[in-house]
Amino acid sequence: MARKDYLSYTARDFALDEDFQQWVLQPATRNVFWERWLQQHPEKEADIREARQLVQNIRFTPYQLSAGQKEALWDAICGGLEDEAPSAPKTRSNWWQLWKYAAAVLFGMLIAGGWWWWQTEHTPAILSAHTRLGEVKTLLLPDSSEVTLNANSRLLYAGTDGKPREVWLDGEAFFHVKHTRSNQKFIVHTYDNVNVEVLGTQFNVNSAGKEVVVVLQQGKILLHIEGHNTSLALQPGEMVRYSKQDGDFTKSSVNADQYVSWHTGRLTMEDYSLADAAAFMERVFGKTIIVQDTQLLKYKVSGSMPIVYNADTMLVQLEKVFRMKFNQKGDEVWIQKK
Amino acid sequence: MNTGKAVRADLKVVPSHSSLWGRLLEGDRHAFAEIYEAHIDHLYHYGMHFCRDHERVNDNIQDLFQDLWLTREHLSPQVQHIRYYLISSLRRRLLRSLQRDRRWQHRDSWDGFEFEFTTPKENQLILEETAAEQKKLLQAALANLTRRQREAIYLRFYQNLSYNEVAGIMSMQVDSVYNTISKAIAILKKNLPFPLLLLFLGR
Repeated sequence: MARKDYLSYTARDFALDEDFQQWVLQPATRNVFWERWLQQHPEKEADIREARQLVQNIRFTPYQLSAGQKEALWDAICGGLEDEAPSAPKTRSNWWQLWKYAAAVLFGMLIAGGWWWWQTEHTPAILSAHTRLGEVKTLLLPDSSEVTLNANSRLLYAGTDGKPREVWLDGEAFFHVKHTRSNQKFIVHTYDNVNVEVLGTQFNVNSAGKEVVVVLQQGKILLHIEGHNTSLALQPGEMVRYSKQDGDFTKSSVNADQYVSWHTGRLTMEDYSLADAAAFMERVFGKTIIVQDTQLLKYKVSGSMPIVYNADTMLVQLEKVFRMKFNQKGDEVWIQKK
Repeated sequence: MNTGKAVRADLKVVPSHSSLWGRLLEGDRHAFAEIYEAHIDHLYHYGMHFCRDHERVNDNIQDLFQDLWLTREHLSPQVQHIRYYLISSLRRRLLRSLQRDRRWQHRDSWDGFEFEFTTPKENQLILEETAAEQKKLLQAALANLTRRQREAIYLRFYQNLSYNEVAGIMSMQVDSVYNTISKAIAILKKNLPFPLLLLFLGR
């Protein structure tokens, strides 16, 4: 920074100085220098105060898009880009490479030990994938089914010709299962006694919290709960919640969109409470939300917004939506009324 | 030190942009969405001050973002300040779009970037008559500022672009940006000791 003789500055000179303006407009940027300077030169306080007023009190007529307009505009932007693949192609190609690799290995095995193939005939293909906090992956399974794996989740896949396709899920995933010509079943196992059996359909399974929550968006699924010897058939828009603690379960009708829209990158908030938002932040980003006034947790909003896989951005957005003040300390977020 | 932020609620502190830009160039859709979220309010505000035509602003912002994504491989990785880049681009688009539209061609002197000047709260307990008179005086003084000068003031104080960036966007010399702002400050300064409430420039 050029040495400027600020001592000789009048209020008007300060108001014109870019560095001074920066401090007034964005106090976080130049505060160390200016606060210290003011301490050293208290005689300039009146000038500084006047200069601050000059810079601060210029106001421009506000023009603001509503949340809905902003969203519509974003949809229009993305709509024009539809030709491009919406899911992350990187993940897909990784899987593809893995699969190619697996194919190469299988090919080698075929040549080296053809007899062994004759004997076993069905060698299961086993694949696994996982996501970290704040990360979402779309996976293309060898049977062309698509799975979107939410943050901090794990998926294991085993497929053998002639036998059911099976996956084991720890966490949350949205499934778009391809119906095969041979009517091959697709089974989702959770580690908590709940298994979902399908042919071809779209649904969401979340086993991340104290419950296992299954929501069906399209098609038909059969839910098996071990220990209960029960099978539940689900229709689109139905949800089953299974309590891991006492094994109780309930079925209800819901707006499926609210539970599955995350896989398209949107957070659908319908009577969405701060408690829901807290659960989301904890689940996806590992942030612990702390609220002293528990009444705040019941505060609800409705609408929707894009999910950005960046914890800070997401917190800023939620802060605006709920009109509250979020203070972040490491992985803890303290929430207060504004 | 948070007072200034509370007063100018439109100024958000956003995460470092250079890396965001890098991610956009690599085709990261999340980065693209983040850029939209972070800048849409400022772009719309600028556009509306530029031409006060909601449809036109919306259309041009849509084109701007679509082109941003489609041509990302050809964009300069050197972009340091995304807002500067976006506003320059939106300005060029709006100008082009207005030039094509005959209705707008006779409107060189058309106003925009109107601003008001507010006094600190403690001064607001005053007689309304005095305020009205002051308002008239300041309005007359500010009327001497041209649209271009007001735009420069707007870009510096509302969008928080540097003198250099303002000069770049408006194809002006840095000196004339400085002189413009100096002129405005002088006018405001003259009015500062007197109590006044709201001042609208233009109509």
